[in-house]
Amino acid sequence: MSSINQIPVIEAKRGNPLSKVFDELVRFCRSRSLFILHYCTGCGAIELPPAMTSRFDMERLGIQPMVSPRQADILLITGYVSIKTLKRVILTYEQMGSPKYVIGICSCTVNGGMYWQSYATAKKLDEYMPVDLYIAGCMPRPEAVIAGLQQLMNRIQSGEANSWEDYFRNYDYYLGNQQKLFGDNWQTPTDIITEAKHYNLMGEGTFGEHTRLLEQHQKPLEALDMRLGHNLKEPTE
Amino acid sequence: MAPMELILELTLMPLIAFLVGMMMVLMMRRIAAKIQRRVGPPLLQPLYDIVKLHSKRTQISHGLIHDIGIIMAMGGYIAAETLLPVPGMNGIAEKGGIITLLYLMMIPSLGLALGVGQCANPNGSIGIARALTAMLAYDIPLVIVIFGVAYAAGTTNLVDIIAQQQAGGFAAWGAVEMPLLAIAGLIAMHASLGKQPFEIYIAPAEIATGPMVEMSGKYLGGLFVMQCFQLYTTSVLYVSLFLGGGTTWFDFLLKSFLVLAIPVSIAYLFPRYRTEDLLRLMWKWPVMLGLIGVAFVL
Repeated sequence: MSSINQIPVIEAKRGNPLSKVFDELVRFCRSRSLFILHYCTGCGAIELPPAMTSRFDMERLGIQPMVSPRQADILLITGYVSIKTLKRVILTYEQMGSPKYVIGICSCTVNGGMYWQSYATAKKLDEYMPVDLYIAGCMPRPEAVIAGLQQLMNRIQSGEANSWEDYFRNYDYYLGNQQKLFGDNWQTPTDIITEAKHYNLMGEGTFGEHTRLLEQHQKPLEALDMRLGHNLKEPTE
Repeated sequence: MAPMELILELTLMPLIAFLVGMMMVLMMRRIAAKIQRRVGPPLLQPLYDIVKLHSKRTQISHGLIHDIGIIMAMGGYIAAETLLPVPGMNGIAEKGGIITLLYLMMIPSLGLALGVGQCANPNGSIGIARALTAMLAYDIPLVIVIFGVAYAAGTTNLVDIIAQQQAGGFAAWGAVEMPLLAIAGLIAMHASLGKQPFEIYIAPAEIATGPMVEMSGKYLGGLFVMQCFQLYTTSVLYVSLFLGGGTTWFDFLLKSFLVLAIPVSIAYLFPRYRTEDLLRLMWKWPVMLGLIGVAFVL
């Protein structure tokens, strides 16, 4: 998936003539109300407070910060992603409710940036999850961040920002890349394949050799122990 | 009253409450923006948020009780709206009275506790434990205040309380006759809104919005709707008890928005208290003011 345009978009058939108006309204509301979860991994995080506070004020565009992945629509990755961080980023991404959008800020998310030679850094973010928008720069100014977010708003309104479906339709590709980094027994608490089946988001790339590998060792999900101070198990185990 | 008319009123009152509540949410966010020298959200922002949250493709439920909890949280307030008289419409306020209203206003917190309990998120559990502690803190001054007002009016019927205040004009307003109770009521109302400095159970930086932490999509949307009702219920109850209700819609809305603007303006100037400080503060000052106010009334 080198380009977002290659993602197949399957139009659902809708019988009701009002459904088009309704879809239009929903898309408009989605574009005007964006809750961001900023996963501040690197130096790009420093550009977000000015973008949110009085100088550039993102709230006038309906964008506001949220603190939990469940509530958020946008995952902002602001800077380099080390392999250990990437695990958390993927867990966070999978917990978000669709439609969800990923924005990579800074050149580190595009190609590794100045950490290109590092052994512990994931170079390209879009190998591990579908990225809607990159905002390049080292670091991009708040104006650039807001311009990028406005571009995303336009794409959502016109119905083009569907790359979250790609994670379900081509899960095998993303899982393969994740397994390459984290080892063959990588498993996240969110069962993407069941979710894809449930929401009718299956594609040709949902299954493949990597998902077969996952199914071999996949453990069923259990409720976490509610005791505080208890050594919680790492989800990767 | 004809049954059809009653059904119409019972449908209209929560709907009006929802619309006014959305404007109150907008006012709250605009005031926050003005205090922080920002522009603030556009006019229909609360509506966009609610429509967007309900139109999420994947809805993550944690089980039946989670679903029912959100319904309880909204339903408690929707039931409370039918007991709050607005100009021209009394609903079932004459039959219910303030005591029923007080009970109904506690249901949302309990519903939220049920729903959050099933999410099995430690942040949520801590948040809801704090929310119930906060309820314990502000309910005692609130009950004292409501007892004082009801004793002075000689009735627990909200329609009669409003009628008495309107008959006597400005001098008969609860806030003029019982200023101490009015001040105690304002503090209790501020705490019941859960805004800073009494924001112990949301606390985004500490427990990740507490009860809301596992809510996504329509569940969070339900809580956004609940917030609209919460703002409306709290301010209209205060207006009914102390500011003579409203003779016209203009009068009524002006008073409710002004009353709500006081705690909201204070809220964004302060950080928050810890739980024990909140309890100490709420059980000391508003209770003391309320008891002195009740002593004057008796």
